[in-house]
Amino acid sequence: MKKINIRFKVNGRQADLNIAPNKRLLDVLRDDLGLTGTKEGCDIGECGACTVVLNGRAVHSCLILAAQANGAEIITVEGLTQNGELHPLQKNFLEHGAVQCGFCIPGMLLSSYALLKENPHPREDDIKEAIAGNLCRCTGYKQIIQAVEAAANENNE
Amino acid sequence: MIPEIGYIRPRNLREALEALGENRETIRVIAGGTDIIPGFHINSRRFRDIRTLVDISGLPDLTFVDLENDGLHIGGAVTFTDIVKNPIIREEYPLLAQAAFRVGSVQIRNRATIAGNFVNNAPCADSVPPLLVYDAVIKIQSTRSEKTLPLEDFLLKPYKTQLQPDEIVSEIVLPPLKKEYRGEFYKLGRRRSVAISRITLAVLVKLQDRTIEDIRIASGAVTPIGRRFRELEDLAKGETAEVDFLKELSVKLGEEILKITGLRWSSAYKLPVVQQMFYLLLRRVCNR
Repeated sequence: MKKINIRFKVNGRQADLNIAPNKRLLDVLRDDLGLTGTKEGCDIGECGACTVVLNGRAVHSCLILAAQANGAEIITVEGLTQNGELHPLQKNFLEHGAVQCGFCIPGMLLSSYALLKENPHPREDDIKEAIAGNLCRCTGYKQIIQAVEAAANENNE
Repeated sequence: MIPEIGYIRPRNLREALEALGENRETIRVIAGGTDIIPGFHINSRRFRDIRTLVDISGLPDLTFVDLENDGLHIGGAVTFTDIVKNPIIREEYPLLAQAAFRVGSVQIRNRATIAGNFVNNAPCADSVPPLLVYDAVIKIQSTRSEKTLPLEDFLLKPYKTQLQPDEIVSEIVLPPLKKEYRGEFYKLGRRRSVAISRITLAVLVKLQDRTIEDIRIASGAVTPIGRRFRELEDLAKGETAEVDFLKELSVKLGEEILKITGLRWSSAYKLPVVQQMFYLLLRRVCNR
C-alpha cells in the first residue's frame, strides 16, 4: 500500500507523518503520536470514547481516516491542560465525582469542550444533547452534567 | 478492519469526477465516512471491491447553501450540523432541519453529509421523508454528463439508487414553497437520542379555508425505502380537513404501509403507532 504524507496540528503542535491511507485518525493519534488519552471503544461511532475536536467540532476519530484530517487542527484530551493546570472542565469533573472508571471521560471532556466553545451558556438540555453520543456505564451521567454546568458557570463569572 | 486502499483528495469537483471516471469499478467516494467505515469493519459486500477512496468531505464546490430564484441549493457534502444551523433551512424547510437534528449524535452530524444519507439509501435515512415532501430534485454530475432528477426517482431499493460509479450527487434543490404550507416531522427510535429510526413520517399540507388543497405524505424506516404516498394524497385533495376524514386517512396510511411490507413481527406495534401519530400530525398541521 502506497503511503502518503499528511500534516496536521495536534494540541498546537505540528505533526508530519507518512502513513498508510487505511489508518484512522484514532490509530495515528494513539500509535504514531502516543496520545493514548483518546480511547478506542466501539469502532463504529456509537460510544464516543474516541471523540476529539477537529477544526472546532467534536468528531469520532474512529470514523475519520487520518488522511482526511490533513491540514486540520485537532485537540485531544492531552491538549486541555494548559501549563500543567487542569482545564476547568477537568477540575469540575473531579470535584463533582463525574469520573469513575474513566474510560469515557476523554470523549466526554472533548464533547463538553466543543459545546462550551460554541455555547458558553448551555442549558441542561444543550449539555445532554452535546454528550448524547458519549456513553458512560458508571456514573449515570448526572454528575457529568453537573460538572459541565459548573465549568460553564465558572467561565461566565 | 479497513482494507488496504488508496486515497485521493481532489482540490475541486472536477478533479473528483476525473478520478472517479478513470477507475469506475474500484473507486468510491468518501465524505463523512459514517456509513463506509463501519461498513468496512463488517466486511460489507457493498464496500468489498473498493481499492481507492476519493475524499469529497469539506470540498468548497459541494458545501454551499444558496437561495436562488428556483429554490434552495444545498451542496451534496453539506453536513447535518450545517443543515441544523442554517437559518434559511430552519425557516423555510423546517422539517429538514428537524430531521437533521435527530440524525445520530453531535459527532455524527458534524461529519455525515446530506447526499451521503440518501446515496447510502438505508431504509431509515432520516433526511429522506422531508426531502420527498419538499419535492427535492438532485443534480448528478460525471465527466460525461450532468443531469437533474427528482430524488423520488433516484431512490430504487434499500441501499440501491440510480447513481453510477463515476457520478457524484453535487447538489440538492428544494423548490420554493408557498408560505401557506404547514408541515410536521415525526421520528420514532428505540431511545430518545442516537437512535436508528423505526418509523419516520413527514407531512405537508396546504389548506384553503378547511379544504385540503394540497397534501404531501412520506414515510421512512417503516417502508423498505423512504417514499411518497401519491394515491392517498390524491384521495385527500379537495376533502375537508375534519376529524373523521383525518382519521380515515390515517387508517388508510397504515393499511397502505402494511400492503407494502406485509405482516412483520413488529407490525403489531408499528401499525397503530403509525396511524395514531399520523393522525396527531394531521391534527396539528390542520389546526394551526
